[in-house]
Formats: sequence, C-alpha cells, structure tokens
Amino acid sequence: MEPRPKSFYFLSILFAMFLLFLYGPTLTIGILSFQGPGGGLTFPMRGTSLYWFRDLFEQQAVGDIWGSFARSITLGLMVMLTTVVISVMGGLAFRRRFAGSSLLFYLIITSLVIPSILVSLGVGLIFNQADLEVHWSTSGFGSQLTWTLPFGLLIMFAVFNRFDSSFEEAARDQGASPLQTIGYVVLPIIAPSLIGVALFGFTLSYDEFARTLLTSGSYNTLPLEIYGMTTNVTTPVLYALGTLTTIFSLIIIGIFLFLAAISGRRRKAMGSDAGKGDV
Amino acid sequence: MQKFFARNTVAGWLMVSPLAVILLFFLVMPIVMIVIVSFWQATEFSIIPAFSLENYEFLFGSSVTYRVFLNTFKYALITWAVTLVIGFTVAYYLAFHIRSLTWQIALFLLCTIPFWTSNIIRMISWIPFLGRNGIANSTLISWGVIDEPLEWLLFSDFAVILAFVHLYTLFMVVPIFNTMVRIDKSLIEAARDAGASGAQILWNVIIPLTKPGIMIGTIFVVTLVMGDFITVRFMSGSQSANVGRLISNDIALLQYPSAAATAVVLLVTVLIVIGILLRFVDIRKEL
Amino acid sequence: MENSKITRRGLLKSGAAAVTAVGATTIGAPTIWAQNIKDITLRQFGTGVSNLNDVADKVKEDLGFTLEMTALDSDSVTQRAATQPNSFDIADIEYWICKKVWPTGNLQAMDTSRIANYDKIVGIFRDGKLTPESEIAQGTAPHTVGFVDGPDGKEFVQEQSGWMTLIPTIYNADTLGIRPDLIGRPISNWSELLNPEFKGKASILDISSIGIMDMAMVVESMGEYTYPDKGNMTREEIDMTIGIFTEAKQNGQFRAFWKSFDESVNLMASGEVVIQSMWSPAITAVKSKGIPCVYQPLEEGYRSWGGGIGLSKSLSGLELDAAYEYINWYLSGWVGGYLMRQGYYSAVPETSKDFMTENEWGYWFEGKEATDVITSPTGDKLAEAGETRDGGAFEERMGRVACWNAVMDENQYMVRKWNEFIAS
Repeated sequence: MEPRPKSFYFLSILFAMFLLFLYGPTLTIGILSFQGPGGGLTFPMRGTSLYWFRDLFEQQAVGDIWGSFARSITLGLMVMLTTVVISVMGGLAFRRRFAGSSLLFYLIITSLVIPSILVSLGVGLIFNQADLEVHWSTSGFGSQLTWTLPFGLLIMFAVFNRFDSSFEEAARDQGASPLQTIGYVVLPIIAPSLIGVALFGFTLSYDEFARTLLTSGSYNTLPLEIYGMTTNVTTPVLYALGTLTTIFSLIIIGIFLFLAAISGRRRKAMGSDAGKGDV
Repeated sequence: MQKFFARNTVAGWLMVSPLAVILLFFLVMPIVMIVIVSFWQATEFSIIPAFSLENYEFLFGSSVTYRVFLNTFKYALITWAVTLVIGFTVAYYLAFHIRSLTWQIALFLLCTIPFWTSNIIRMISWIPFLGRNGIANSTLISWGVIDEPLEWLLFSDFAVILAFVHLYTLFMVVPIFNTMVRIDKSLIEAARDAGASGAQILWNVIIPLTKPGIMIGTIFVVTLVMGDFITVRFMSGSQSANVGRLISNDIALLQYPSAAATAVVLLVTVLIVIGILLRFVDIRKEL
Repeated sequence: MENSKITRRGLLKSGAAAVTAVGATTIGAPTIWAQNIKDITLRQFGTGVSNLNDVADKVKEDLGFTLEMTALDSDSVTQRAATQPNSFDIADIEYWICKKVWPTGNLQAMDTSRIANYDKIVGIFRDGKLTPESEIAQGTAPHTVGFVDGPDGKEFVQEQSGWMTLIPTIYNADTLGIRPDLIGRPISNWSELLNPEFKGKASILDISSIGIMDMAMVVESMGEYTYPDKGNMTREEIDMTIGIFTEAKQNGQFRAFWKSFDESVNLMASGEVVIQSMWSPAITAVKSKGIPCVYQPLEEGYRSWGGGIGLSKSLSGLELDAAYEYINWYLSGWVGGYLMRQGYYSAVPETSKDFMTENEWGYWFEGKEATDVITSPTGDKLAEAGETRDGGAFEERMGRVACWNAVMDENQYMVRKWNEFIAS
C-alpha cells in the first residue's frame, strides 16, 4: 500500500470535527438525561441518576408518551410496508417509458421538493371542506407517503438503472413467466435495496413532524407529542425521551443491517448459482 | 417481459396506479385546494368561499413579504454554500481516502446515527450550548479568548444557519458520495500520469464528474431550508422569519386563505428554483 | 354494579357526595346512568395548563367514566375548537378564544340550572364584578362572552341568561416576571420592559392576542398614549403600538420572543432574559430550580385571562349527562384545590378550600405568610415558611386587573401587523 498523503491526515481531522459537530447535541442530550432528580435542562449536572428514565415510564402531568410512541411505530410500519410495495411496483413500471410516465416522474419530484407544511395545509383543508375527520391513520398516513414514496422510488430507480437484465433474459430463456421472473430473480436480487427503502420509509415517517401537524387529528404521534412536551415540560425527562428514542432507533437499524447481511449472504449464494448456470 | 411492458402502457399504469392514486389525493388535490382557498376570504373562525384577490394584494403590498422572502433566500444560499463545502469534503474523504468498502460504510453509518434523535430535541439542546452562560461562552471566557459573552451565538441568524447545517449536511454528503464512488478511478490515474497536481485533478476531473451529485444535494438542501418553519422559530428565538413561519403563523391564527396565498407563492418559487437546477442534471440518469 | 359501588365510595371519600347528589337529582335519572356510566368516554382537549392526567384519573375514581385528555399548545387549541368539532366532546379553552369559536356553532350552551354551584361562581364570570364596587376591566372580560340567549343561541348576551357558553375553570392575573438578583432594583411599572437598561435582556411572548395587550400596558405606562379600550384598538392604535415595539426590536431590546411555557422558563432560568411577560407556573418552575424569580406586581395592574370548559354540539343523552356531572364535579373543589396549589385561581374558591391545607389556603388565596413549606401538587418545593405570594391576596390581585386577553374587531389586521413585527 502506498503511504498516505498529507491531505489524508488533514481531512481525517476535518472529518473528526464534523463528527463531533454532528454528535455534540446528541451527546449533550445523552449526558443531561442522566441528571439527578433536582437537575434542569442545562448544565451543570446536579448529580447523576436514572431518575428521569424512571420518570419517563410514569404518567406525566399531561399527555401520553407511550400511546403516541405506539401510534408512531404503527404508523411507521404502515408507511414502511406501503412504501416498499409501491416503490417496487413503480420501479418496475418505470423501467420502460409509458404514456404519461414523464408527467408522473415530475409529480414524484414535486412531491419531494414541496415544503412539508403545504402538504399538511392542503390535506387538512380538503378533509375540513369535505367534512371528514382527520386521523393519523388516514390523512396522516397519506401525507407521510408523499414524503417517503419519492425517496423509495428514487432508490428503486437507482437500483434498476444498474440492474443487469441478463439475469432476467436467462430466466426467460429457461421458460419462466413474467411473474416467476420477478418473484424468483428480480426480487431476490434487489432485496438488500428493499431493506434500504424500508429503513428510509420507517424513519422518515417516525420522525416526521410538519406533514402530520395538521393531519393527525385527536391523537398525537411521537414527534407531535415531543413538540407538545416542549410547551409544558421543563425537566430532563425530555432528554431521557430523546436518549431512549435514539437507542430504539439504533436497535431498528441493527435489525435492518442484520436482515441486509442475511439477504446479502443468500444473494451471494444464489448469485453463484446463476453464474454456474450461465457457464 | 420487457417487451410486455414496453408495448403495454396499460400494464405500466396498472403497476403505478397505487402511486398515482396516492399522489393524486395527497399531492395534486391538496395543491389545487390551496390554490383555490388562496382566493377565498376568512373571518375570525371560518373561511368563506367567495372569490377575492385580497390575500394576494396584501401579500404583494407589504414590504415585509419581500423582506421575508429575501431572508428565506439568504438562509437557503448560506446554508447551501456551507453544506456544500462540508458535504463535499466529507464525501471526498470517504470516497477517496478510505480504501475499504467496509470502512466507508462504517464511517458513513457513524454520520447517520445522530439523525435518529428527534429533530426537535436536538435543536433544543443547542440552546444550553450556545446561550449567554452556555458551554461555548463559558469555555471561551475561561480560555481568555473573550471577556464578554458573545450574544450572537444564540437567537441569531448564526444560530439558525448552524442548526440548518447540522440538520441538513448529510443530505449533501449522500448524493455527492454516491456519484464519487462511481467515478472511474482510472480517470484519476490517467490525470496523474499526465502530470496533473492534486488540486488540478480535484478541479478538472473530480468536481466536474461530481456535478450531478452536487445538484441533487443542492435540491435537497434548498428545498428543505426554504420549506422550514420550525428551525427558524426555535433558533432565532422567534426574532426572524422566513416564509414557512409566515405560513405557520397564519395557520395558527386560522387565517387559512392568507396562509394559502403565501403557500402558493412559496410553491411557485420553490418549483422555479428546482426547475432551474434540473436543467443542469438529469436526475433519472444520474441516480 | 361493582363499578358503581367504587364510584359511590370514591365520592364519599372525596367529600363531594353532597354536591354530586344535587347534580344527579337535577338530572333526574341517577340510577340509569350510574350503571352505564363506566362505558362512557369523554374526549377533552386544551392547553397543558389544565389538561392534567391527574384530573382524568380522579374523574375515573370519583365518577367512574373515562376522560381522555389531549394537551395542545394554545394555537392548536383554537384550531381544533374551530375546525374539528368531531374530534372532541369537551373543549377546555380560554374566554377570548370562545369569542372566536362560538360563532362556528361547534359548542352548545349549558343550562345553569343544572350547575349545582352556579351561585357560588366568582362574580367575574357572572356579572363581571369581583366585588359590587369593582370596575370592569378592558378587553374580552369573561362575562361578556359567558352567556347566550338560549340553548341554540348564537349571539352573546350581557346578562345572566341561564345559558352559559363556558363553565369557568381557572383564571389568573398575569404580570411581568423579573430576575431580582440580576436587576438589583425595584421594578414597579410595565414601561420597564422597554427600558434601555435591559437592552438585549427583555422578552415578550409571541402569541399575538396576548402580546398586543402586554404591549398596550407598556405603551400606557410609558405615557405615550391612553387607549379608550385596550381590548378593542383601532387600526391607528394598532399601528402606533406595534410601531413602538418594532423600533425597540430593531434597537436590540429583545433577546427572544417566546411562544411556549418552557421557552419562557428557560430564558429566565438561564439568565438570557431578566424581564419578560410570563405566566404564573413558569415563575414557580424557575423558582423550583433554586433561581430567584419574582412575579412582579406593577402599578398599572394586571393583564388577566380565564379558561373554561365548553361542551361539543354533538354531545347528547347519557354522554351529555356525564358531561354535566363532570362539570359539577369540576366545581366541587378537588380540581380547584389542585389548580390553586399551582398558583391559579378556581372558579368556586370556597369549595377548593376543603381540599387545601390551612397553610396552602392562606398562602395562595389569602396572601398570608406561609407557616410551613409550600409544595406543588407534584411535590416540588415552591416556597419556604415565612414567604408570601407575589402580589398578595386574591382580591388584591384579581381586583387590580387592568385588561383581559381579548379578540378585537380589527383582529385580522392586528394579526397581520403582528406577523410583520415578528418578521421585521
């Protein structure tokens, strides 16, 4: 290996500083969530304890953290599944141009760049004028999809841009039907990217604030609850919640990475099969 | 199978029909609704479906509107420039200085972890850091760098842009990194063999080849900043405003038609900006 | 059956049985609803000030039915009351919001003959007078939007018609909060908010309807102008008022504007701000961190607000009965005591007295020196023995209200001007 150029060390330091910048608030939150019972939202620490984590599991003066947590997870899973399915279907369809495909593509881009609060406002207005009740699982769900679908679709477009269609040709030559080709060849190959889409779908939904603001109805999702808490809560319980949601998120990433690793291994195995077939 | 799709627009539309339905109901119709409502009138508590240009007249008649739009562009431009420099540097480091794919992925994931803490909580946690008696000021004072606390660290444009950079740099890193790893390394070898210096390689080879990634990152950052309303409120201590805040204030006060009119102008502005950016990059090809 | 037994025992224990019995007799069919009551769920929303889970728990214990509480910020509260009538059964809103929301027809008037303690409700909410001699303050005084002419009345009436829009729950007199340790001299006028001495260390709240009233108090105190009615300004008055503050803002008078309770606490506790508009529990929150903070009574008097419970138009039958029962329970003292121990006032103070210790009643209501430590309902220490409440006794504070939070005729114009002020 050739020796590292000077620029490497310089850039390493810059990168480390960037990481520190990114982690600063997260670490501050992490540390402050272990405040003693008398501590506040700012330094200095007044003792260390798990008091605020325990407090988190007790009923708060107002609101319902765990109810909103459950709703956010449910909504996140709904959005995730829908995003994966629709993105794959869209990705497959967009491999060929069809009448109106450019228009649809520009809609997807619009959906990506439209300020979130406009979606919230528009959906809220429609439900209001149609005399429908807004609810996180209907209007909230739809509004979030306008944010997760463009991401899912762009990932699928990227995947299919680089997709080697000789695998499909091979399958077709051996007499596979279109559905069989998709089920046994295409889907297994793109499986790791699907995990990426799923991860995106879940987390974008889980952390979405603006799009749910006017569309969630009587019951808060977690980001809305946190926003509500900032208006009432002045204790480190807010930070304990932050730390806990970070840990929860890390567990979710862990699960997804694990799944990706497994499917990667399986794909490798299948890929080598296909290779043999080609020869 | 490809022929099957190529010849069959019906099949294409069948596949995208769920997508089309969702976009129709939750994107197209809301936009249409906003445009319609922007011509309506409002009372204290309800909206009146009666055509009126009053919302736009007020909007374009107020000098504050222009100032706020200018402010929005200012935030977008500065944030864009800072995130571009940082994002490009980080992506460059990951793509060209980290040699193993495993390390690239590991370091990249390391960058994404902070994004798993709620945005709002992360934003709030800047306040004890930047405040008059915050960590930054007390550290600088104890080092003897300054005598008086720096007031402009918090509740200022500086704080707003700092938070934007913190929240959105990764949206610049990802697409730039994505294009960089696809640059054929032999091009760089060739340039080096031809006697190009490091800076020349960067300027004449890498940057031009990274342009699509930069453009996509720019689209992300610009639209996120222009549509924001909550960061500006928290970090400026409500002292400055961008267009998003105008809209959210109007919504909060039940002035939906007025909010809708501002929203229409914002949407048109964003779409024009994105339209211009899209002239420089073919997103579908560059993904 | 088992449930109703628990209910009854709970009632006896709470000492509110007599009150509830009166309420139930008025309803006329106590036995029917006692059996079905446990299946009822009422959805209440409001700000975090009074939408407390402890209240919901106590309702379950005392009355047997379920009360679902949703706490929102004050903007969302208005929004929901005005635009989502199906999302709630009980609206816990402020009186000035009522002025905006009532005309939407989302709420129904309440029959005061079904309110057991109606006659004991503080005069402010009935004829506007705390004592027979007191003058009615400017702004949207609660009694002016407190009554309509019938069960379906759309217009507010100015006498006690027997049909109430909101049943008052809590109210308070607001003033400026200061950090005495960082100011180091007495503060006695609203005009101090714009004193250049506090340049970069002042703050005002960014809720237009309330902020404009604070501004008006300051403008009058500066001697710049005396409003015919602060609660109903003309366009010129709005321009002038906001103009003065815009100039101060551009001169760097303000450190920040706050919109939520915790922001005001943090601004004060961290020393970013030494003088600002503030709410009573925010003061206690700062104090409970061991930081000196005073809810400074000022010569010009207080800016006041009041909250109340309204019933959704869609409530009927058993649910409506349960809602009346809840209201009667609300006024019967337990909640009042709970809220008074946070520094607010209850609509029927005399019933709350039974649920407070003599020390607490003396400190919070009568303005006496605490004879022992004063704690919040959640157990945080708020004051030592020997301390007195800022501003003193109930009559002393509520008797010096200069204006109420208001909705003006020119509200839309004011809101736009306010938006410009924030953006300038």
